[in-house]
Amino acid sequence: MSLLEVRDLDAGYGDLQILTDVDLDVDDEEYVTIVGPNGAGKSTVMKSVFGLTTHMGGTVTFDGEDISGTKPEDVIHKGLGYVPQNENIFAELDVEENLEMGAYILDEVPQEELRKVYDRFPILEERKHQQAGTMSGGQRQMLAMGRALMLDPDLLLLDEPSAGLAPDLVDEMFDKIDEINESGTAVLMVEQNAKEALRRCDRGYVLANGQNRFEDEGAVLLHDEEVRREFLGG
Amino acid sequence: MSVSETYVRYRRTLSEEPLAIGVLLVALWMAWSLVSGLLTGGIQISSLASLIWDGLLRGLIIGLAGIGLSMTYSILNFANFAHGDYLTTGAFAGMGTSYLVAGIGENSVGALLLVGAGGSVFGGALGIGVTTAPIAVVLGALLAGIVTIALALAIDRFVYRPIRDESGIALLITSIGVAFALRYLLQFVYGAGVRGTTAAGSVPRVNVPAIDGTFRVTAHDISLVVVAGGLMLGVHLLLQRTKLGKAMRAMSDNEDLARITGIPTERVIRTTWIVGAGLTGVAGYMFVLWKGTLGFNDGWLLLLLVFAAVILGGIGSIYGAIGGGIIIGLTASVSVVWIPSEFGRAAAFLVMIVILLFKPEGIFSGRTTA
Repeated sequence: MSLLEVRDLDAGYGDLQILTDVDLDVDDEEYVTIVGPNGAGKSTVMKSVFGLTTHMGGTVTFDGEDISGTKPEDVIHKGLGYVPQNENIFAELDVEENLEMGAYILDEVPQEELRKVYDRFPILEERKHQQAGTMSGGQRQMLAMGRALMLDPDLLLLDEPSAGLAPDLVDEMFDKIDEINESGTAVLMVEQNAKEALRRCDRGYVLANGQNRFEDEGAVLLHDEEVRREFLGG
Repeated sequence: MSVSETYVRYRRTLSEEPLAIGVLLVALWMAWSLVSGLLTGGIQISSLASLIWDGLLRGLIIGLAGIGLSMTYSILNFANFAHGDYLTTGAFAGMGTSYLVAGIGENSVGALLLVGAGGSVFGGALGIGVTTAPIAVVLGALLAGIVTIALALAIDRFVYRPIRDESGIALLITSIGVAFALRYLLQFVYGAGVRGTTAAGSVPRVNVPAIDGTFRVTAHDISLVVVAGGLMLGVHLLLQRTKLGKAMRAMSDNEDLARITGIPTERVIRTTWIVGAGLTGVAGYMFVLWKGTLGFNDGWLLLLLVFAAVILGGIGSIYGAIGGGIIIGLTASVSVVWIPSEFGRAAAFLVMIVILLFKPEGIFSGRTTA
């Protein structure tokens, strides 16, 4: 049984249905990406796992427990961490306070995890008293990931982690994600930068019009004629 | 050449910044008339000091009440027009308690709790004052906070919470309805008369020397400074140092992200009401203790100044509410140096408008902090 199992998921916002019969699995310590054109519903899959959409049918099972329709403030207790694409930091709070908020559900700030986050992203320790909103795009993205790692989640959901980053930072960001995955955290990532994402991941899904189109190992998808032609620009 | 260049530059400044020039001219005229007034003896330094002191105290009340308004705005995203009447409720509840403690045994409990409605009991006769009846005053201030908190939580539970997902406009208009309902309920229960609440003559005072005379500082002035200053410091520490306070700031910053990090939003909202309403109730009580009169319109009349302060400071910021409150209080008070005292409130709004023209987001914008 996989860590995350999405079966026949129908979801959307209010009356508007975006996803139809989406199936998706993430195994323990696996690195999975979702690629596809704009408006395919990639981010909606992530939001649905975290209870941020209207649940219309199907199931989301995490670690054997059905979490379909669970409220976002409760999903975090199950062992999932989520980094949304936009506004993923508390801009008014300083860096350390952002990380503390990541562990809000614990009674005490977990010093061990805080240490690990600082070791992984040294810039955050250097700037721990800087107001988060005044940092650069790359630093904000690291802070957002650090915040989501404060509870040492079993599965980390990353929505477009490379969006808006300078080209030289994109590689660094992907390296960091590799490291996080290698240290034992399963990763489910949505990426605009489809080729790079497929190159790095274990398995990939191609989503179009809110439905599954292809599913295979990243390298296989990357070399598939049809996928290349339709989704990777040749 | 250089003369004509300078001339051109000044002409350009004049045509591009007529507002700034106008404000500068008015400021210069005000400074000149103040200085000449002081030099010729038309304005006494001691009376100016007295006005500044009065303005500061007024500003502390406005600021204290403004913190609550600003906090509920930043976390719930709506301007609560009933806020002024929360303040009045606190004042009545607190004064009723003070009357009861000071006058129990000699007067009927009903007359005391109704703050002497219809002239049945007089605050002066009971000796209400921070030195003459300290226990009555402390308990009054506490009850003012507690009753206002209970009121705010009840109104939130039964009125605002059911429509929380509606637009801000729906909440705002509802709050105007709540304001009217509360105010006339207060009038119905306590009566429409404005009553004196303190033993004004027996409040200890010192005359502080100020070059050409003295200005008066009373025990109630000092208690207002201590209570308001202490509570403001308390809110600052709550927001900066405690986990719940940080969660409040986080939620005011980014509600969606707060939810996915597991911050219990309803609990944060409840805390916001508790802190905001508690401060407002105590502000109402201290206001009435300080000015020595109490009427059912007090909070409503103060509300416009509180709004002016909060907007001026940058709505959503508690530091903005405090800073804006002091600016508004000082302006309303000190403006009598230049204009008739009837226009004090108008001057406060004028200053608000002028500051917003130059800094539309408010003075403390960008440092929201709940």
